Amino acid sequence: MPKGIGRIKIRVPRNITKGAVIPIKALITHPMETGFRKNKKTGKKIPAYYINDVNVYYGDKLITHCDWTIAVSANPFMSFYIKADKAAPLKMVWKDIKGGVYEKTVQIQPK
Amino acid sequence: MSDKKNNLHISRRQFISTAGMAGAALFMSGLLPGLVKKAYGKKISKGKSIANAENIKDVLKKHFGNRKIENSHVNLKLPIIAENGAVVPIKITSGLPMEKNNYVKKVFIFVDANIHPYVASFDLSPANGKPDVSMRIKMRKTSNVRVVLETNKGKLYGAMKSVKVTIGGCGG
Repeated sequence: MPKGIGRIKIRVPRNITKGAVIPIKALITHPMETGFRKNKKTGKKIPAYYINDVNVYYGDKLITHCDWTIAVSANPFMSFYIKADKAAPLKMVWKDIKGGVYEKTVQIQPK
Repeated sequence: MSDKKNNLHISRRQFISTAGMAGAALFMSGLLPGLVKKAYGKKISKGKSIANAENIKDVLKKHFGNRKIENSHVNLKLPIIAENGAVVPIKITSGLPMEKNNYVKKVFIFVDANIHPYVASFDLSPANGKPDVSMRIKMRKTSNVRVVLETNKGKLYGAMKSVKVTIGGCGG
């Protein structure tokens, strides 16, 4: 597996009031190869390699699921909102088509 | 005086020669594209019509059947001109409610000119609080970007915007 794939950054607001709707931003390092690109030196096609499934758990509940294809940019960024009504871990899991699973958990701590 | 005359003479000669060169260049430039087209004609036509490219109408029909998509309640934020088709930021916002029995179930993103127009979908739940998402997508060439929101009651809301792409982003 190439180096650097699966590095994750998740950004959560610093001050969270209970019950507020807060933005979550997440970034993962991944090449997202389409399978159409060619290696210019050898002329061979680079095989497809992309993330096709993202799950977001808040507490133990699955709140968001994403179905992605090759047309998502390399190093996929996504942002979405959650309703911060409890102190619980927010777990994000990315899965790619070669069986790679990348996950990271951040704590949501409303005041 | 004679010096000046000489100068004039040379400049005139130069002028004629440069004009001639320019003329030749023009002639060549007019000829060249034709030649290139002749040589690579096959390749260009092959690149334009990709055999397994899907039509946007078929894709929409596959996902939504004959249900009507209402063009309201969805705001799309996209660049008018995308310099790089490999990274086109897209931001979807909507004022639709996210309550327990009335929420946006799914968000779809389509790009008309891509080989597979279906780009991504998000399954949301009331725990999201807002049906707003943003991400970055790839576009092969200038085309329309469509977004469709599906509520849990089965209603469809959509929006469409055209994005001009100067460098395509799908390779090949």
